[in-house]
Amino acid sequence: MSAWEPVLSRNFGRTEARTLEGYRRGGGYEGLQRALGMEPEEVIEEVKTSGLRGRGGAGFPAGLKWSFIPKATDKRKFLVCNADESEPGTFKDRFLMENDPHQLIEGCAICCYAVGASTCYIYIRGEYGEPANILEQAIREAYEAGVLGERSLGKGPRIDIFVHRGAGAYICGEETGMLESLEGKRGQPRVKPPFPAVVGAFAAPTVINNVETLCNLPHILARGAAWFRGIGTDERNTGPKLYCLSGHVARPGVYEHPIGVSLEQLLDGAGGMFRGRQLKAYIPGGASAALLRADEARIPMDFDNLAKAGSMLGSAAVIVMDESTCLVRAVRRLAHFFEHESCGQCTPCREGTHWSAMILDRIEAGRGSAGDADLLVRVTRNMSGTALCALADAAVGPVRSLVTRFRDEVDAHVAGGACPLPYRPLFTAEAS
Amino acid sequence: MAEGVRQAPDAPHLPEEVRRAIERLRERYPTSEALTLPALHLAQRHWDGWLPDEAIEAVARELDLPPARVYGVVTFYDLFHQRPVGRHRLRVCTNLSCALRGAEEIAATVESELGVGEDEVTPDGRCSWVRFECLGACEAAPMLMVDGEYHGNLDPPKTRRLLEGLE
Amino acid sequence: MPKVVIDGRTVEVEAGTNLIDAGQRVGVQIPHYCYHPRLSVVGQCRMCLVKIEGAPKLQTACTTQVMKDGMVVKVDDEEVKAAQEGMMEFLLINHPLDCPICDQAGECGLQDYSFKHGQAFSRFEYAEKRIYPGRERIPLGPSVVLNMNRCIQCTRCVRFTEEVSGGGELGFFQRGARAEIGVFPGKELAGPLATCVVDICPVGALTSREFRFAERVWYLDRKPSLCTGCDVGCNVTIEHRKGAIRRYKPRFNPAVNDYWMCDYGRGTFRRYQELERLSTPTLRGAQGEPRPTGWREAIEALEQGLQNAAGTPIAVLASGSLTTEEAFVLARWADRLQTPHRATWREDGVERRIPNPNGGIRGSETEPNRRGCELAGLVPGPEGASAADLMEGDAAARCGFLLVADGDFGAAAHDPEVVERLRGADFMAVIGWAATPLARVADVALPVTTHAEREGTFVNSASRLQRFERAFPPPTGVRPTLELLIELLARRDAQWAGLTAPDVFGRMAQTLPALAGRTYRGIPAHGIELESGEDG
Repeated sequence: MSAWEPVLSRNFGRTEARTLEGYRRGGGYEGLQRALGMEPEEVIEEVKTSGLRGRGGAGFPAGLKWSFIPKATDKRKFLVCNADESEPGTFKDRFLMENDPHQLIEGCAICCYAVGASTCYIYIRGEYGEPANILEQAIREAYEAGVLGERSLGKGPRIDIFVHRGAGAYICGEETGMLESLEGKRGQPRVKPPFPAVVGAFAAPTVINNVETLCNLPHILARGAAWFRGIGTDERNTGPKLYCLSGHVARPGVYEHPIGVSLEQLLDGAGGMFRGRQLKAYIPGGASAALLRADEARIPMDFDNLAKAGSMLGSAAVIVMDESTCLVRAVRRLAHFFEHESCGQCTPCREGTHWSAMILDRIEAGRGSAGDADLLVRVTRNMSGTALCALADAAVGPVRSLVTRFRDEVDAHVAGGACPLPYRPLFTAEAS
Repeated sequence: MAEGVRQAPDAPHLPEEVRRAIERLRERYPTSEALTLPALHLAQRHWDGWLPDEAIEAVARELDLPPARVYGVVTFYDLFHQRPVGRHRLRVCTNLSCALRGAEEIAATVESELGVGEDEVTPDGRCSWVRFECLGACEAAPMLMVDGEYHGNLDPPKTRRLLEGLE
Repeated sequence: MPKVVIDGRTVEVEAGTNLIDAGQRVGVQIPHYCYHPRLSVVGQCRMCLVKIEGAPKLQTACTTQVMKDGMVVKVDDEEVKAAQEGMMEFLLINHPLDCPICDQAGECGLQDYSFKHGQAFSRFEYAEKRIYPGRERIPLGPSVVLNMNRCIQCTRCVRFTEEVSGGGELGFFQRGARAEIGVFPGKELAGPLATCVVDICPVGALTSREFRFAERVWYLDRKPSLCTGCDVGCNVTIEHRKGAIRRYKPRFNPAVNDYWMCDYGRGTFRRYQELERLSTPTLRGAQGEPRPTGWREAIEALEQGLQNAAGTPIAVLASGSLTTEEAFVLARWADRLQTPHRATWREDGVERRIPNPNGGIRGSETEPNRRGCELAGLVPGPEGASAADLMEGDAAARCGFLLVADGDFGAAAHDPEVVERLRGADFMAVIGWAATPLARVADVALPVTTHAEREGTFVNSASRLQRFERAFPPPTGVRPTLELLIELLARRDAQWAGLTAPDVFGRMAQTLPALAGRTYRGIPAHGIELESGEDG
């Protein structure tokens, strides 16, 4: 593809951009300046027009989400930045926070202004100790410079940003699970309705947005919604996108492209396959996404095209698997992930994730029986659309794709009474 | 007719410096309960990386919450430990991206080098280790976390060197 | 008020009513576990999924409220049934096959819904059942035992201790398939309402220590009654097997005890089994020991004692365990004897508090019906001796005749000093059910029914009159108190002969303004608030 000017990742690797001064020199905080000169309504409109969709996994239009916040209320409002990033294969938010903390701070401030939130909590997963420290340092600088605090940039309202560390639970990346955790409880998702825009953090109207989503705001405000709309596949899939490439790829990492790049193109820019092997399958959007075949490597990876293909863009965590990979083993690993992370509140998820993992255990161990694939279909069907939150549906994603798209792998295990592709060590026995 | 929380009269207290650190955070949150996670992190640090029952009860007392509720919070999250840990706590990522790049071999190396199983502490108290879910560093797979730091692009020799360097 | 259509039936409900409650109004039972009308709604068990026209997915009935007209709900529907079967299968895969040894069998939510909403097969491999090693019989405190293997993680018990009893003793621990309920290590669930969690647990995970293995519930007969442990008057169900009471369970009355009762009250039936019972009338023998006799002789001895006492003070001492009807008859008998000495003994004890939607109810007396007895007329007349005069003073010694009526008088009847003071009367007759030291030194002791063997009304600490029924007949040789008192009164006033409790109540209604116009059978299920005259 032609020279793509990085937007979100322009400061990656440039340590001087971590400081407020360095960030400003690169054009930082111009977006916030411009936003504070507009009416909050206008800012929301701008974001709506841009077509920005949530980058955390659900792809919900950001401007539309903001417009659900009630205008006529004297309740205090909150912004919660979702920096929980626990979807397997996802690390873009970590890159954003470590490399360009002020970009996120600026995005949070713009959002706060637009929706009338005076307080923003950055809920960051507890394992991200270093990124949290970097953020806190940048926030201190931002207060000193008057970006945050009493009057933002000398003309805006009071904006406070606090870093709140999680303690290790994937389900806290779910909006209402996050709110429960922020409030000091077990991160068990809430029944919806009411939705967070009405009853959110501390029973107040709350917007929850992903790190990457918020990082787009300074650019939308500085360069305009029309510019943003011009990037991407079509009107419903706009803007730059960070893709996390990992697994059997030569150069795993974060790659920024206009939204809608294909795996083939991504691999091209990342040195191709690991050790030159053949692509077998890939996951386009994190552990919840259905696996796709190697011959589906040209699908534009945006929200709609991937949904049409039966999978999802999700968190854009692209996990590449070569011909040495046993897909039953891979999906089994993901099933155990979901079993471990299920909060345990509701029946279908608590029992279904556990049961799915056990069935895949025995299939992988060669103890599966002929009806097990159909059993997985039934179990996952009873988990779909019946649970309290989307984790059950997420857990269903890879399992269902295994027994539909890659049924032959399951059958081979059952017929052969063993895994036909046992694990091949990557590291030979080395002398110390 | 909820009677409200009754703290046991002999409930333990948090050490003064932990209390003060929690106090400094109070203005950030509208409720006392929201201090639960930060308070537990602070308490755990004070108690050498884990939370004995007395620490949990002390946090409950400080925040005026039923001890059972705080216990429910502690047991929900993977970063809160209820058994003693080593001076150094290793978390080896074994989720899919790392597994595809040899994570199990790294875990085996850790296990054989330290000589203890998962969630156990070496006899000299130096290290304990666990397998962990995705730590968000798949660009450097396989990787592990030692205390607060990430170490990636590992192979067995690098892993051994890393372990040798821990005191 | 908005209308909703459920399985073709239309019902009008208050805005905000959820679909489970709305369904019950029109006879549509939507299965559920985690929902309870007094607990926060969590939508966790997913058993109540129903189809709502216009909604893309099935919705939980407990979390869906009727706010305006137009909602159309289907419960009798293929997709809903498939979901119910799916949820039942999920719940059963990790549930132990404990029915043969589990108390809950016969009143178990899993058994019932399995039968109604489950499927007849399971593809689960038994060897893979999740267990909680070492947590099959954990005492959570003095009254409740936990078997964590049976738990279906509905969290009713946790929410109960947080929201209703307020002690917060129970918590939800761990995550996912390892999630469990429990107490903080070293602490216990020991508050007065602890056993209520056993009532609300849909399965046999929480069992009552004193009821464990006591009886198979399908052998139990059930009768509505009232607790006699204090003057709150919790509505209970007496559950017995051929006259042997096995347990009390609370009965719903939002005006008194709501869905609850306290552990002390639950245990009060044991007193009727533990104390030695009077089985025949007795007369005081030559050496002062009680001599068994027949009813006719006993009553004639009593009448003789009364005759001998003519011209001397005659006293009646009642306990608050008498029903209002019994007290009324006894007061009329005292009228006929023209004595002002008729008192109701009052003892205060531990304060008991039961939560209900009106801020809760309290009671601190040890007997259920002191107020009813006083309302019925057992209060001293002018210059009449009080209960204190008789039991703590020397008034009894000046009496030619003293009748002590009913109850076992709690500790007092076993207190040698009280017994001696009352024994100071020339002639003492005791009407009671227990062979207490007091009854043993009586000139005449007349054995009567225990609480479960009679019917009547009590007036509680909030002035509410409530009716209770007889659970089972008394053993032969023992007579109902009311019948005995009627006989004694009828000897002096024939119009009382053969009257029963409803008749007596009718007489009460004629003379007591608070009961004007009421009938015994017409007493509403939730009682009558006497001060305002309101029902329910």
